Amino acid sequence: MIVETSGLSKTYGSLAALRDCSLTVERGEVFGLLGPNGAGKTTLLRLLVGFLRPTAGWAKIAGLDCERQSVAVRRQVAYLPAEASIFPHLRGRDALDFFAEVRPGGDLQRSLEIARRLELDLSRRVSFMSTGMKQKLALAATMAANTPLAILDEPTANLDPTVRSTVLALVREARAAGNTVMFSSHVLSEVEEVCDRVVILRAGQLVHTQRMDQLRQQHRIVAALSGPLPPIPDGLQDQLAIVRQTQGEAVLETPGELAPLLKWLATLPLADVRIEPIGLRSVYDRYHAEPVGSTHNYHSPLTAAP
Amino acid sequence: MNRAVLKKCLIEVRLLWAACALLLFAFCWMRVFIVSTLETVDFAGIVERLWDKWSKFSPVPLSHLVSYPGRIAIGYDEPIVVFTVSIFAIARGSDVVSGELNRGTLELLLAQPVSRLQVLYTQALVTVAGLALLAAATWSGTWTGIQTTTVKESAPPPKISFAPLGIEIPLPFAGGEKIEAPMRDKVNPRDFLPGAFNLFCLGVAIAGAASLVSSCDRYRWRTIGIVVGLYIVSLIFKIVGLAFESLHWARALSLFTAYEPQRFIAIAVRQPEQAWSLTLTDSAGKFVELGPLGYNLILLGIGFVAYLAAGAVFHKRDLPAPL
Repeated sequence: MIVETSGLSKTYGSLAALRDCSLTVERGEVFGLLGPNGAGKTTLLRLLVGFLRPTAGWAKIAGLDCERQSVAVRRQVAYLPAEASIFPHLRGRDALDFFAEVRPGGDLQRSLEIARRLELDLSRRVSFMSTGMKQKLALAATMAANTPLAILDEPTANLDPTVRSTVLALVREARAAGNTVMFSSHVLSEVEEVCDRVVILRAGQLVHTQRMDQLRQQHRIVAALSGPLPPIPDGLQDQLAIVRQTQGEAVLETPGELAPLLKWLATLPLADVRIEPIGLRSVYDRYHAEPVGSTHNYHSPLTAAP
Repeated sequence: MNRAVLKKCLIEVRLLWAACALLLFAFCWMRVFIVSTLETVDFAGIVERLWDKWSKFSPVPLSHLVSYPGRIAIGYDEPIVVFTVSIFAIARGSDVVSGELNRGTLELLLAQPVSRLQVLYTQALVTVAGLALLAAATWSGTWTGIQTTTVKESAPPPKISFAPLGIEIPLPFAGGEKIEAPMRDKVNPRDFLPGAFNLFCLGVAIAGAASLVSSCDRYRWRTIGIVVGLYIVSLIFKIVGLAFESLHWARALSLFTAYEPQRFIAIAVRQPEQAWSLTLTDSAGKFVELGPLGYNLILLGIGFVAYLAAGAVFHKRDLPAPL
């Protein structure tokens, strides 16, 4: 594994920005962080790069302690902060030159190539660039670094859809080159598209870990009910869960193959049957559809445990 | 030290430094020129009228104040010189942490494999080198002024000499003739080096203090506000300490007590052997007070300790996300 945290916590007075976070990220994985504003995503990432000192617990990257060996950690990491700002007095090209020079083994040609792919005008002074242009410049500087781990905090914020696709392609290329990417975003479709594994944070706590290959196999069956549902047969208990059952509607979820279920489903008093992939939105909504502090009573038996 | 970070610091500082250097050089040159246009006798006439009330504020005796070196040395206490160096020191010092945090640029900078101390002390090095060059620009302005100006003085009245008797009798009715002499014949530019060095040391102390406040803060405007507030309080302490005998102790609390370029220049003129001494002694070799070097070491010490404290604070603190 390349990233490991154990009981990682950060509190500011009575406010717990991150609580008891333990996770691991494997090499070559694209690892997503999901959660609304204030959930603790950025705090976690800033703890990893040594910007914050943990209140409790520890974090390691490539076996190096993120607090005590922060410079060595940052040799292994390319970090793109949320809303990255670059020295306003420099021109775009000079800024890329700086970032290539400041990092041992920095590659100016690669950052210029990425800037070209992102359609960035490098002749302009940073202070005269739009927010999106600055984001592209920061991306070009960050993604050019040849490091085993890239940590990207909302990398597609402020970018148009075309450039977003390029960024996601860069993430996939990093994975194909054997590098690891930690990726925080509010755009679920992007996370769904590129991530191998996703964690969901809520009010500073890691509440759920989801393997995307498992999620892609899961389906939801929504149908109108014309009578009561019989109990699930013993042979199908592991493959199906009744998520919701009202007088007029039933929602069932399955973690994998649909074929073995179809015969039993055909015997049920169902009409208007819709079968759809569960999708990350459904998983996300389980934890964030209700306000923080409320007790959500939904726990799907089919999703992976944290 | 990281070469790229050093280059970035140099790029950031160059415009401000060039503007300050030009101002200091030009002002000190002009200051000598202005001195050359006003005859010492006329200047002495003005000062003598005010001397009773203002002597307590003068760091040098009247006899030195009305001399050419004394009049040029006043330039080192002129607000434009002191404030220009102070502005440079506060601008650079305040920028190092809270400035970068405020702009949001510290994030990407520290995302690179450079330590916080590398960032802080590279900037400190550039600031201190910039201050040394500003002090050099100040002295160069004085040197250039001394080399390029002339003074007009009333020629001493002719005398009738009775050589066998060894008597000379001036002829007052023949006076009033003006003669022109190069300023360099009246003043040695080297005597102003202690003043320029004192200015540099003041800048280091202020830059160190500004860096310390900056390392604790996250808003540059607040850092500048705090440092300027301390600066003004320090200035008031010195003025009050000089003005009222009962509040003499207030001088000890002021940074500006160690900034006495006129006095150090006077020492260089009158006691050249003590121009760079740590302590001043009387004829019996007994300690009288701190010498120019002693005061300068206090200022450098304040700057050094403040920079060390800034490093300790910055090394340990959390870096908040930009707002």
